[in-house]
Amino acid sequence: MAEPAQPSRALVVLRPGLQTTVQDAGRRARALGVPGGGAADSTARRLGNALVGNPGTAAGLELTLLGPALRFEAPALVSLCGAPFGATLDGIPLPLWRAVAVQAGQTLDVRGTPAGLRAFLAVRGGLDGQEVFGSRATDPRSGFGGLEGRALRAGDRLTWGAAALAPAPRAHPSPEVRTPLGPHHRLRVLPTPDLTPALEGHLCGPVFTVGAQADRMGVRLTEAVPAPHDPTRPSVPNVPGLVQLPPDGRPILLLPDAGTHGGYPTPLVVIQADQPRLGQLRPGDTLQFEAVPLAVARQALITQERALRQAETALRLHFASV
Amino acid sequence: MSAPIFEPLGDAALVVRTPAARALLARLWRQPPPGLLDAAPALGQVTLLFDPLHTDAAGLEQAVRGAYSTLTAEAAPPARELTLPVTFGGPDLPWCAAHAGLSEAALVEALCALTFEVAFLGFTPGFAFLTGLPPALQMPRLAAPREQVPDGSVALGGPWAGVYPRATPGGWRLVGHTTFQAFDLSRPEPVPWRAGDRVRFEAQRG
Repeated sequence: MAEPAQPSRALVVLRPGLQTTVQDAGRRARALGVPGGGAADSTARRLGNALVGNPGTAAGLELTLLGPALRFEAPALVSLCGAPFGATLDGIPLPLWRAVAVQAGQTLDVRGTPAGLRAFLAVRGGLDGQEVFGSRATDPRSGFGGLEGRALRAGDRLTWGAAALAPAPRAHPSPEVRTPLGPHHRLRVLPTPDLTPALEGHLCGPVFTVGAQADRMGVRLTEAVPAPHDPTRPSVPNVPGLVQLPPDGRPILLLPDAGTHGGYPTPLVVIQADQPRLGQLRPGDTLQFEAVPLAVARQALITQERALRQAETALRLHFASV
Repeated sequence: MSAPIFEPLGDAALVVRTPAARALLARLWRQPPPGLLDAAPALGQVTLLFDPLHTDAAGLEQAVRGAYSTLTAEAAPPARELTLPVTFGGPDLPWCAAHAGLSEAALVEALCALTFEVAFLGFTPGFAFLTGLPPALQMPRLAAPREQVPDGSVALGGPWAGVYPRATPGGWRLVGHTTFQAFDLSRPEPVPWRAGDRVRFEAQRG
């Protein structure tokens, strides 16, 4: 006797949005020159996944500035976390920071956001995609990972992994754990050996504006500072959150797709606790760097992690009981 | 062997400077200290990325010191020999020849007579920093980087030679082009070279 046909766990892209890519927690292959990649707002990724009962590292869609329209071919449990994008499910407003059940045939239509830049759309079961060096994150510049190594196009079809059906949890993370959005940001930084007292005066305190060049590699600021220039400087490894100073003096904040090595001075590093904010920097936002002691960086991360884990644990309990 | 120098970089990375960076990295891969997430090598250094919720720079430094103190002349994987077919005639070849005080043909001949060594990989997937250029053949980087360097470009920049695996911005001087693929996920080994490998250029008729 033939098995009844399984409805395929898939969605179809009706409209791709501006820069919609499959992202997860990123990869660890810097020694081969491969950038880390992964969702630019890791807090949105973790909470979004927790809301649908996924491990925090599962792949979902990262939306940028203008979201996609997606028709679901099968029932799904989804969540949308991050910047406050306007979204509807078959015309009915979709609440953010909640798990929402989607019926087969329904269309999720995500429009723009008045603040911030990115959101993470999680689907229970986790999105499928090309896995490269242990991650499904899309690296559009090298053209690998996710869906053919590129941003979504109309007509694309995405599938997701099997997971037991589960009702949407009523619990949702408190607003305090969300990544703060603009239009003004204070980014806490630690100095590197490249920071001179003169540079510190130019970088820490004055207000900078986020320029139009703000992608997953880096965010360019529009105000220039006097930059030291040394063409013989060797190429050294980059780490996430570095503030790079090219010869034109306009600082660049390095995001997950930044190259693994660079030859320009990097006088500051954004502390771990504030790195999710880099993914929400929107052209036109303003920001200030605030130098803090290492102990402050450490305490900020512990406080943030405690709140995140509390939210994740509460949601895990819900899914453990279904 | 002089002792390594440690320098924290932010709250989640530690730079270790040592001439034995390559051997140290191999050891740390085999026996990763707690909290080590990833590592990026460069010339005479390796940058360790760690999870600050599991360790800190001091804890990692202690673990690395322990690994370093027992570092012997470990069996490094044997160096391989790669020959890259290069069609010389890049846009900067005439400039480079003039800078070196050679004819273009003599510069090409000099480059093909060299044996380069892969110092480390980085910058973009599969990009190898090739060392072995004598000072007379070292070229200053462009004052303003090109916005787009074609993939396969063979380039000289400061003490380095390299091959751009994909089209990217770049500030090195372009002297030729190769069909050699430095990053190809359809191969079992996507990146065909590793630190220590030896590389020669072989001039192709344009």
